[in-house]
Amino acid sequence: MNPNEQQISTTVLVIGTGGSGLRAAIELAEMGVDVLAVGKRPRNDAHTSLAAGGINAALGTMDKEDSWQQHAADTIKESYMLANPHTVEIVARGAAQGIHDLERYGMGFAREEDGRISQRFFGAHTFRRTAFAGDYTGLEIQRSLVNRAEQLQIPILDSVYITRLLVKDNQVFGAYGFDINTGKRYLIHADSVILAAGGHTRIWRRTSSRRDENTGDAFRLAVDAGARLRDPELVQFHPSGIIEPESAAGTLISEAARGEGGILRNALGERFMERYDPVRKELSTRDRVALAAYTEIKEGRGTKNGGVWLDISHLPRETIMERLPRVYQTMLEVQMLDVTAEPIEIAPTAHYSMGGVWVRPEDHGTDVNGLYAIGEASSGLHGANRLGGNSLIELLVFGRIVARAAAKYSASLESQPRSAKALAHARAEIDDLLAANGQENVRELQRAIRNMMTDHAGVVRDEEGLQAGLAKLDDIEGRMEHVGIHPDIAGFQDLAHAFDLLGSALAARATLEAALERRETRGCHNRSDYPAMDDSLRVNLVWSPSEGVVREAIPQIPAEISELIKEVSSAGKLVE
Amino acid sequence: MSTELPEPASKIELKPGVGGGGEIPQFNITLRVRRYLPETTADAYWEDFELTMYGTDRVLDALHKVKWDHDGSLSFRRSCAHGVCGSDAMRINGRNRLACKTLLKDLDHSKPITVEAIKGLPLEKDLIVDMEPFFQSYREIMPFLINKGHEPSAERYQSAEDHAKFEDTTKCILCAACTSSCPVFWTDGQYFGPAAIVNAHRFIFDSRDDAGDMRLEVLNDKEGVWRCRTTFNCTEACPRGIQVTQAIAEVKQAILARSI
Repeated sequence: MNPNEQQISTTVLVIGTGGSGLRAAIELAEMGVDVLAVGKRPRNDAHTSLAAGGINAALGTMDKEDSWQQHAADTIKESYMLANPHTVEIVARGAAQGIHDLERYGMGFAREEDGRISQRFFGAHTFRRTAFAGDYTGLEIQRSLVNRAEQLQIPILDSVYITRLLVKDNQVFGAYGFDINTGKRYLIHADSVILAAGGHTRIWRRTSSRRDENTGDAFRLAVDAGARLRDPELVQFHPSGIIEPESAAGTLISEAARGEGGILRNALGERFMERYDPVRKELSTRDRVALAAYTEIKEGRGTKNGGVWLDISHLPRETIMERLPRVYQTMLEVQMLDVTAEPIEIAPTAHYSMGGVWVRPEDHGTDVNGLYAIGEASSGLHGANRLGGNSLIELLVFGRIVARAAAKYSASLESQPRSAKALAHARAEIDDLLAANGQENVRELQRAIRNMMTDHAGVVRDEEGLQAGLAKLDDIEGRMEHVGIHPDIAGFQDLAHAFDLLGSALAARATLEAALERRETRGCHNRSDYPAMDDSLRVNLVWSPSEGVVREAIPQIPAEISELIKEVSSAGKLVE
Repeated sequence: MSTELPEPASKIELKPGVGGGGEIPQFNITLRVRRYLPETTADAYWEDFELTMYGTDRVLDALHKVKWDHDGSLSFRRSCAHGVCGSDAMRINGRNRLACKTLLKDLDHSKPITVEAIKGLPLEKDLIVDMEPFFQSYREIMPFLINKGHEPSAERYQSAEDHAKFEDTTKCILCAACTSSCPVFWTDGQYFGPAAIVNAHRFIFDSRDDAGDMRLEVLNDKEGVWRCRTTFNCTEACPRGIQVTQAIAEVKQAILARSI
C-alpha cells in the first residue's frame, strides 16, 4: 500500500463545489445518503460567486401573466431553437422550487414592500422573472449553499484535483486524484459520480474565466470515462471584456453600459453598429454586438491591442455614477481610466460554455452508468444562445434532480464493481507525468492552445481557419509528448496544469471539429463562409474521440410552449 | 462582409491619445515582507524586495512578482483575486486589507510597503496563518438558517424592511480582516471576534430564523459580545464595507432587550 494515498468510500461523489455541486450534495445529505464533495478550489471561491445578475423563475410576483411555459418559450427562442425542449421544460417547471429551496436555506433575496421576492427584467425575457440579491446574487447563492452544507455536515475536500474517473465495463465506481498542495493521492470509491466541474471557456485567450478554471477538465474526465460531448462549438462570447492589464483581462464591463447609451466605435472613430444593426445599434443582442466588434477587429479597424472602443464619456456624469457605478469603479481601479472622460477598450470575451457533456434531459445521466453531469459541464438548456439568468436556476433545478437520480441508481446496484486495471491506469497516469522531464512547459502549451482557439475558432469561424486550427492542435499535441512537470515548494500546481492541458486539448479538438461540421451561422456560432441559418442543421452535434461529430435530432417542442414563442423586445433589458 | 454594408453615418475624430493604449505610470517600490520559515529559522524577520510596478497593480501583483521572479519560497494564500473569496487578507502598512483590492498607487512609495500576516492567529509560514480558531468561533454561532417545526413548503414572505435588517451582514466573505484587527482578539484568543458576531447577526436579525435566542445565548458569554471595546478597528478593516461595530452593538442591544 502507498502511505501517500488516502482511500475513501462514499455513496455519491460530487466533483466540483460550485453552485451545482453543492446543491446536489445538499439534496443527498437531506435524503440521508452518504456524499463527499471535492473541489480543486476552496468552496467559497467557486465561479458561481462571481455571477452578479440574477436567477430566473416564473414566480409571477411582478407580472401575474408569467408562466413556466412562457419562461420555456423565451429560453427556446433565445437558443435559436437548439435547446432540448425536455430540458427546458424541466428547468422552467422546476424553477420556482429552485428559488424556494434557496429561500429555505436562508438566501437574502431582494424583496418587495409586501415581503415577496422581488423580480426584475433581464435580457430577452417576456416578463420580469429574475430574482436577485443586490449586485452579488451569485455570492449570496454560493454562501447560502455553503452554509447549508455546513449545517448538514457534508464532508468537502478542497484543493483536490480529480485526474480520472474509475470505470469498469461502462460503469463508474469512483475517481482518482491528488491534493494540489501536498501531492497526496486520493482513491475515492463511489457508487455514482456527479460531475459539476465547469466548462471550457478558458481555452480562449480572452475569457471571463479565471486562471486554472473552466479548462475543459470536466469534459476530459467525462470523455475518458466513455461519455460524449454535445455542441462544444456553442460558446457564448460577451461583447465587452477589457483587454488590459493582463492580470485583469476578461473582466466584464456590464452590458448596462450600452443600455444606458454607450456608443461603440472602431479605431477610425466610426460608430460601427450602424453597419450591422442600423435600428438597434448598440442595443442589439449580445451575439450580434460580439460579432460586429469581432468583424471590425478582424478587418483591421480595431485598436492596436485588438479591441474596439466603448464610449460612455458623453453621458452625464451623474448617470454614470448612479447607474453604472461598478463600471466607473472597476475601470478606475484596473486601468486608472476615468470613464467619464475616456472610452473603454474592449473585445469579445469567451464567457459561457453552452454545450457540454451529453446528458439525458430527464436525469442528466451520461452514456456511462452511474455518471451524471450538471451545470456548465452539462448541456441541453442553452442551445446557441443563453438566456441571461438561466444558468443559475439550472444549477438549482438539476442539482436536486441529479442527486435523486444518483441516489436511486446507487440503491439499485446489486454489487459494487472494482477494477485493478482501471486503478493502475489512474495511478500510472500521475506517476508518468511526475516523471516527465521534457523541455516543453505546460503553461506555454496552454497559451498556445488559447492563441490557436482565439485565432481560428473565435466569434467568427470558417472552414479554412478551423482546418488550420486543427493542424496547429496536432502540432501542440505532438509537443505535449515532451512536457516536463516540476512540483515545487508551493505544491503540485504544475501537475494540475498538466491535467488542465490535457483537458484543454481535448475540449479544443471537440470544439474545432463540431464548429467545422456546423456549416451555418446560428446564435453565437458565426461562419463567414456560411452566413445563413440552415434548417437542416437544427440539430445538436454530439462529439466523441472515436466517432467524431454525429448529428442528434432535437425533440419536438410541446404545443403549449411553441405557441408562446415570439420576438421579445430586449430594449432596456440588457444583462450583465 | 462589411463591403456590402452601408458606411457608418456618424464618425468622430478620436483624440490623439486614444488608440495608442494609454500609458500606465510605472514606479519603483520596496516591498518589505515579514518572512517566517519555521523549517530553517526560528524567528520571523523582514525581507525587502525592490520592484518595478505599474499604476494598476495591487499588492497581490507585487507578491506574485516576488514569488514568480525573485523568491519562489514566499508563501501566501490567494484564490479569486477579485475580493470575493476572502483568502488574502493581510496586514499592509499596519492595516488589515485584502491584497487583491489594495492598489499600490494608493500607498506611499517613499517608504517601504510593509506586508505581514494578520495578527492574533497562529502563524504557520510567511503570510499564512492557521484559520482554524477563526472558523471554530464561526461554527459555534451556527451560521445557517434554523427552522423549528415544519420546513416551509413555499416561499416565506419577508418585508423589505426586515430584509434590510440583516442585508449588510450577508456581505461577509470570512476573510478575518476584522477579527484579526481587534485588539481584544489579539490579547484574548478566546474572544469570539467580530466576524463570528457579524455572522450571528446575519441570522439573529433574519425574520425567518428561529434560533436567534440560542445564538444570543452563545454570545452572552464573557468571551462573547461584551468583550468588544468599540474601537472600530473591525469596521475600518472590513473590505466589504460592513458596519461591523454597529452590528455588534445591535447584538448587544438584542441581548439586553431579551433579558428585560
